[in-house]
Amino acid sequence: MSLLKPFSKLPALNTANILLVESEEQFQQSLADALVEETAVTVNVRLAKSLPLPKENEESRPRIDLVVFIINMTSERSFKSAEASLKYLDPGYFLGKVCFLATNVRNASVPTEYLDAVRKLAASLHCPLLFAEDQTPDGVANATERLLTILKVAAGLVPMATALYVSSLTRCSVPPDIDQPSFD
Amino acid sequence: MAETLNLSSPPDSDSSSISDQSVSSRIGNRSLRVAKKEKQKLEAVDPFVKALKYFSDVDAGTPVVGNDEFESNLVRVERVAYSKGLSPNAISIMLEFAMSLRMGTSPCVRVLKCLIPASVVPQEAVVRAWVWLGVGKIPPSTQVLFIKWVLTIFDMIDAKDQLRAIYGFIFSFVTDENMCPFICHLLYLLTRKGSVRVFRVRKLLELQSKLGRQPFLLHLLSLYKVFCPELVTLSIPSRMRSGFRNHNSHWKSALIAVQKRNNSQVASSTSLPFTIKDKPGSRKRKHSHLQMPALHSVVNKQAQTESSSTRKVVPLVQVQSFAELLDNIHRIELPSQMGSLLGSSLALQYLDCVQDESALLRLNFWLGYALHEEFLFCGDGGASQNSEEARLFLNKLLSTQHFLQEGFSSTEAFLYKFLCIWDGSLLRPQILELLSNIPVVPSTQIRRLLFEPLMQLFFTSSVFFKCGMMECLNNMLLKWLTWHSVYALEDDLDISLNSQTSINMTLSGFKDSVMELIHFVGRLASVGLQLEGCHTLFLNFVLDFYETVCDTFLKYGLPLVVMPPAGVFYPALFATDPVSVDRLAHIMKRYKVNLVSAKSQEKNTEQAFHISRQTVREFNHYMVVMVNCLWNSKMFHTGMGVELGEELLLKSNVPQYWKSFDLIHHPAFMSYAISFHQKCWPGRKDMDLNSIKHSKPWTWYLEYLYSQGYDGLKQIVPAQ
Repeated sequence: MSLLKPFSKLPALNTANILLVESEEQFQQSLADALVEETAVTVNVRLAKSLPLPKENEESRPRIDLVVFIINMTSERSFKSAEASLKYLDPGYFLGKVCFLATNVRNASVPTEYLDAVRKLAASLHCPLLFAEDQTPDGVANATERLLTILKVAAGLVPMATALYVSSLTRCSVPPDIDQPSFD
Repeated sequence: MAETLNLSSPPDSDSSSISDQSVSSRIGNRSLRVAKKEKQKLEAVDPFVKALKYFSDVDAGTPVVGNDEFESNLVRVERVAYSKGLSPNAISIMLEFAMSLRMGTSPCVRVLKCLIPASVVPQEAVVRAWVWLGVGKIPPSTQVLFIKWVLTIFDMIDAKDQLRAIYGFIFSFVTDENMCPFICHLLYLLTRKGSVRVFRVRKLLELQSKLGRQPFLLHLLSLYKVFCPELVTLSIPSRMRSGFRNHNSHWKSALIAVQKRNNSQVASSTSLPFTIKDKPGSRKRKHSHLQMPALHSVVNKQAQTESSSTRKVVPLVQVQSFAELLDNIHRIELPSQMGSLLGSSLALQYLDCVQDESALLRLNFWLGYALHEEFLFCGDGGASQNSEEARLFLNKLLSTQHFLQEGFSSTEAFLYKFLCIWDGSLLRPQILELLSNIPVVPSTQIRRLLFEPLMQLFFTSSVFFKCGMMECLNNMLLKWLTWHSVYALEDDLDISLNSQTSINMTLSGFKDSVMELIHFVGRLASVGLQLEGCHTLFLNFVLDFYETVCDTFLKYGLPLVVMPPAGVFYPALFATDPVSVDRLAHIMKRYKVNLVSAKSQEKNTEQAFHISRQTVREFNHYMVVMVNCLWNSKMFHTGMGVELGEELLLKSNVPQYWKSFDLIHHPAFMSYAISFHQKCWPGRKDMDLNSIKHSKPWTWYLEYLYSQGYDGLKQIVPAQ
């Protein structure tokens, strides 16, 4: 079992590296295409179906600044796969260098328990949970923009801000159950 | 007709081989018929009409199994239903066929499933079907299916008066445990004041004690309570599980598909009585109704005249002008489809001045349901959602809220849920504006409901989103303060949050909420400025917010003064654009005016509020820093907010570092100093900005600065 470590390699100048993990490989590619369009910094995007990453490229692989788990809310497999991959990450990543991106959340076929489970997972790991409208171009552009915002901080490109600091502001919280009759 | 022919001509690949045979024989028949042109056209040519005739004439007890004629006819009807929808007449025939169980129970479900109306559903057919339901031979699951169908197409039933007439009959089904949730929903849609009776209330309460506090019973009871508060003594929670969840995606998606198709085909046709209704919307629940010009499909013509003559009520549809509304305001009958109120300004006038709680409850119910269905719970995850349509709908909702000058509670509940799953870009302008309309949130809830989701969105989004959010929170605060200044006049302690609900809030509770909001925005602004490198645009939105905050006492009469945090004050003071510095000066001036008048009130009257010493100290400190830094050139003096070690400052090799942020050397004003220098001493070659600091040129320089429109600075230290 090889752990992916956040600080085992030196960063490159003005470069940010992001790893997109998605078991179904649906949203990954379009997101990656949009991410590399960024001009202010060099963004390297790495794609993976799941962790751990293969051993052979370990030397050439750059330092990963942010790991994004894309979870399709309509498929339980997607969630299970992300959950299984988490243990191949060094604990150092959970200080602000991991985020979850959920798609298809407004679909009628998503059971509420499932959404709660994803939320609880993100909250227990103190990670942000973003939602994306992956079916519209605007939604993809916006998801890209938000990931870049997090990535720049995680890669240390924003002065006066660290990943841990920002993650303390953005991490997911389990929301109250508004539907409960006792809520008043 | 031609279309139907085309549809039926390709061989049926989906139906059984036996029906293939019958179809081919039919095609053979048709060629014969074409030869004999004199034959009655309609009946002979259109196999669909023939199929319908079969279903209306078929004898009771005809076997289903192995009945090819039945099979092919049903396939034909199904195909038309899913492609174009069924005409009112076809609906009547098929519904009658299904509910009468003429061929047993098995075709009944299949027929019900394909009852997709093309335009409207005749009321008589539905009433007849209810009668069949009473016969009691239909299996329970099919009964439920039928009621679900009625709920799905409820808005398309052409009139509701006869359905209301059998209210008691429908009510009797409420004791059936399977049907109860659906019956309650239907009753909710049908209930009028006259339908609320003691025995019905008793029955519902009895059911509640048996089944527990079920949301569907509570909803119906809450409506009863609104109509007749004296009959229902039960306490109803003010926020309930939203709505009845009886949607059926099968019908819904089929209906949407059929309506979409029909719109593209018959958009210009005027023969259909409801084309106006159908044209813009493909969503049956809301857009179509919102686009209705008047309150069309609500009461049919006959019922209108009848009711106005006998029962002395005037349906809102008939009211054409404001004068008429005034004449009939005591006997207005609300439409059955509350959503249609949103589109009519007269209806809104009525709603606003009558403050009919039942109307608002029903409107809220409808709205909550529509918002939930369309934005939180889409059939396909929003892929096919026409954002233009959604945008128009939300804009309409916004204009209604602006008209009524308050938000709906259902919108509020929707927003709390939506914020938790929002991606931050979908319908952003509308969502942010809706958000700024929400009524005051109690300070115990505000964090969980509002701040946590907003904070997550704020810090992961771009600077432009941050600006939008800041504007939204500013508007929210403005509205809260305006509510306060309007409602607090009536009573010193209690302010009604919202005229729709009777929830009151004490003044201190209100103050707590406002304070929470201001502190929250202070945190967002401080960290946001830090993360965005004091982005000028964002800073201006932050200063907008503090322009509202600094005037809470004088402008809105709220005894509260909250100073900006250092994270906002210093970035504004050291901003690189003069406008921000000037606005900060203006804000400080307004704080001063507010504090002074609060102090003088404190002296004059006993009950005026007490300003905490901390607030005054903070203000004085900021004021000293500002004046010392800009006018007195005493940056980094001990006792100022920004202190640095002497050695460190010397090490920096900045000459006369204490002057580096005065009005001459401040990065925002240096260009003014240079241009002043050039104007003052045109001949001088070497520029010495320090020479402006001499008493005479300094006065001129200040006057020059103030003449450039920097009134904020002028207000703080007027030039002599």
